[in-house]
Amino acid sequence: MAITPDVELSPNIPALGPERPVVWPLQSRAKLANGLEIALVESHTIPKFNGQLFFRSGNAAATAASTPGLAGITASVLRTGTAKRASQEIEEALRGMGADLSSGSSADTSVISFAGLADHREPLLQLVAELATQASFPEAEFERERRQLLEGLRIERTTPGFLAGERMRQVLFGKHPYATVAPSEAQVESYRLPQLSQFYRQNYCPANALLVLVGDFNAAEMRAQVERAFSAWQGAAPAAAADPALPEIHGRRVHLVHLPGAVQAQITVGNRAITRQSPDWQRATLANAIYGGAFHSRLVLNIREQKGYTYSPRSALHALRQHGFFTVSAAVRGEVVAATLSEMFYELDRIRALPVSEEELADARNYLAGLFSLGLGTQDGIAGQLASVLLEKLPDDYLETYRARIRVLTAEDVLEAARRYFDSANAQIVVVGDRAHVEAQAALFGPMDVVDAQGAAL
Amino acid sequence: MIDLKIPIETSTLANGLRVVISPDRTAPIATVGVYYNIGFRLEPRGRSGFAHLFEHMMFQGSANAGKMVHIRLINSSGGVLNGSTHYDVTNYYESVPSNALERVLWLEADRMRALKVDDENLRNQRDVVKEEVRVNVLNQPYGGFPWLDLPPVAYRNWANAHNFYGDFADLDAATLADVQAFFRTYYAPSNAVLLMLGDVQPEEGFLLAQRHFGSIPAGPPAPLADVSEAPQISERTGVVEEKFGALPALAIGFPAPVRLTPDWYAAAMLDQALHGGRAGRVYRRLVLEKQIAVDAEGGIHYPVGDLFDYNGPTLMVTRIMHKPEHSAEETLAEYQNVLDEVKQKGIGEGELEQLKIKFRSDYFSMLEGGHGSYIPRYGLMHCMACFTLFDNEPRLVNTVLRGFLEVTPAAVQAVAQKYLVPAERSIVFRQPVAKVGA
Repeated sequence: MAITPDVELSPNIPALGPERPVVWPLQSRAKLANGLEIALVESHTIPKFNGQLFFRSGNAAATAASTPGLAGITASVLRTGTAKRASQEIEEALRGMGADLSSGSSADTSVISFAGLADHREPLLQLVAELATQASFPEAEFERERRQLLEGLRIERTTPGFLAGERMRQVLFGKHPYATVAPSEAQVESYRLPQLSQFYRQNYCPANALLVLVGDFNAAEMRAQVERAFSAWQGAAPAAAADPALPEIHGRRVHLVHLPGAVQAQITVGNRAITRQSPDWQRATLANAIYGGAFHSRLVLNIREQKGYTYSPRSALHALRQHGFFTVSAAVRGEVVAATLSEMFYELDRIRALPVSEEELADARNYLAGLFSLGLGTQDGIAGQLASVLLEKLPDDYLETYRARIRVLTAEDVLEAARRYFDSANAQIVVVGDRAHVEAQAALFGPMDVVDAQGAAL
Repeated sequence: MIDLKIPIETSTLANGLRVVISPDRTAPIATVGVYYNIGFRLEPRGRSGFAHLFEHMMFQGSANAGKMVHIRLINSSGGVLNGSTHYDVTNYYESVPSNALERVLWLEADRMRALKVDDENLRNQRDVVKEEVRVNVLNQPYGGFPWLDLPPVAYRNWANAHNFYGDFADLDAATLADVQAFFRTYYAPSNAVLLMLGDVQPEEGFLLAQRHFGSIPAGPPAPLADVSEAPQISERTGVVEEKFGALPALAIGFPAPVRLTPDWYAAAMLDQALHGGRAGRVYRRLVLEKQIAVDAEGGIHYPVGDLFDYNGPTLMVTRIMHKPEHSAEETLAEYQNVLDEVKQKGIGEGELEQLKIKFRSDYFSMLEGGHGSYIPRYGLMHCMACFTLFDNEPRLVNTVLRGFLEVTPAAVQAVAQKYLVPAERSIVFRQPVAKVGA
């Protein structure tokens, strides 16, 4: 049975009612004298608040300095001691405030994330300030974290989804720091404690930081509390990150990661695309929603609901600060690797060749506009949207005008975005699986290289 | 002061469908859930994995909404949807801009009234479910550990002990007749609760519920299944091979108290003392101090549920990934030391005070979110649904905190002594077969 989006609909389906306006909650933004940017939003859904203290330096900066992964371990060890408190005191203080705290890093940022009861906000802010300004990096905690990181990496490098993502980034970004998503075991072994404190001193500075707070508080009072906790902090921003040349990519290539014993193939197809700052971001987002970014998308209809090849096919645009990329992925049984790739490319070529119908267009615009509103329902959702606007330096009214901008996009916009950013002809194909079962099928799609889980050529 | 004041209105339709509405008009969005009192514990023998496969079939078409229509109408209304199968309940839920509320109710009513699926749909979803099992279990390091590994070791009643995701042979054996029989047996309105949260006025919500669900025939009451377990008199152990990862792991389970009993409230505090993150006694001792393990976590009904969403036997579970240079025996001995300390010395007033503050804080977060940022109030919905189906009182979400906050140090020590009994524990060892980099 053919399933098309234009299937006959029952006349009994209730029409949508009149829309209530979506009002973005009031934001209050400021910059302290020391350069710390702050953004506050009141949200009284529960008597809690959450915060994220971002630093605009992450693992790309560490990789550029020839110490991949250093940003990550710096963030992990950060929470294990300050000039005033040992690890156990920190953990018990957090528990006594009803708080959760985590620290970590992505390619472009390091972050201390926290959430706690609203009536304990002042001491929690003070603890966060202490971690940001007076972390002590105890030697014993560093060695313990190093071992945990090593064991964690060993497990990640047996995880198909991780391996596919890691290989795709290497292929798309070559010698650019974005090529490295995680350190090798040898790199982790080579870290020395002074390197962590140096990364911390250079990057955990107010002029490099953004504090986002959302929750059950009065914004004016919260602002005063933030100033008390953070205004004595000083330090200049680090130099801007380098942006080395990217590899030239011509034609499809297949990159097989051999995982012995795998009973499924993890397929990821990708190409470099755009950042959030691109004027085409929303066009591309809409094209992605129609292609494979929603449950009701062409890719899901095709390879899941019609053919049953996979459980969770999806496509996504990934924005890093300097560059972005687009991926299509699915985990499938070994026999249908070639069939899945054929359908992925069929759908890519279709959305690049033919305009989408008005109906499909309207459905997808409505989906994105609605999804955006759902993010307003929780403190987390509001914080996430606000943080991305500020980190990516998007226009001040970006959130307030987002839905209106989605609603004016046309079939022509989708076609143009798909042609520019879904680069079917030069797509890179990563397959993670047992080569005995997948190699012959994968090789049909282009010249192929094979590596093991550690990245060594086979 | 301790009680919450979440507004909750309830009503029951003539066909037995219970309706629960919790209005909050802050944002123009609504979350709708339909919960059925059937989970994977109650699926038929010889049909392991069927409750979950059936959940997939509920998206394959109903009398007036064919395959993909349900998904298309929710997405194109600006909403998201999903379903999930648990031990004792199965849920279907949507978050949408509130102008789509009636459309969502129409869709949920249509599939409560009549499934319309064929063999092609069943074959298709069987394939999809097999890939789901591969991606989540068979092709992942530590896949299914310990949620699929512990039950066969810990339980003797098939209802509790079988493979909930399903043996592939059992999935292959499922027929369309099984699908329709399961639907008739367990998906009647009297075995369900409909929930609406967010931007909905209660009077209007009840009116819409009556309009769309009111004429669905009541159907026979669902049969009661026996999920009871005979008391355990000696330790049970099992071994499962780990194909991908190189770290040895083990999981320990102790039978947990019955919900809403005094022991249950105290056990929740004991659980926080043991498993409450990095300050918890197990993580602190095994990972931070002794450094025998690289990770340790756990909880009551962990890891596929929580304190509130089970209605029968469950375990307090601890999951430990330990270093190869420390043996499983050494790891277990140190873990036992942690338990023995609580049993012998109890926990202090100060520690319990912290545990209660953290518990209260976690409870708020669970109610507000609990399922990513795009299903607002999923946790509140889930909790109200379980309290309705298990206890016929959704308002327990407002009062249940009291029981936890009244727990005394003596009660925590007493439940530790009563429940953390070596003869009643079950242990699964997940043993690596591969060498690193092989």
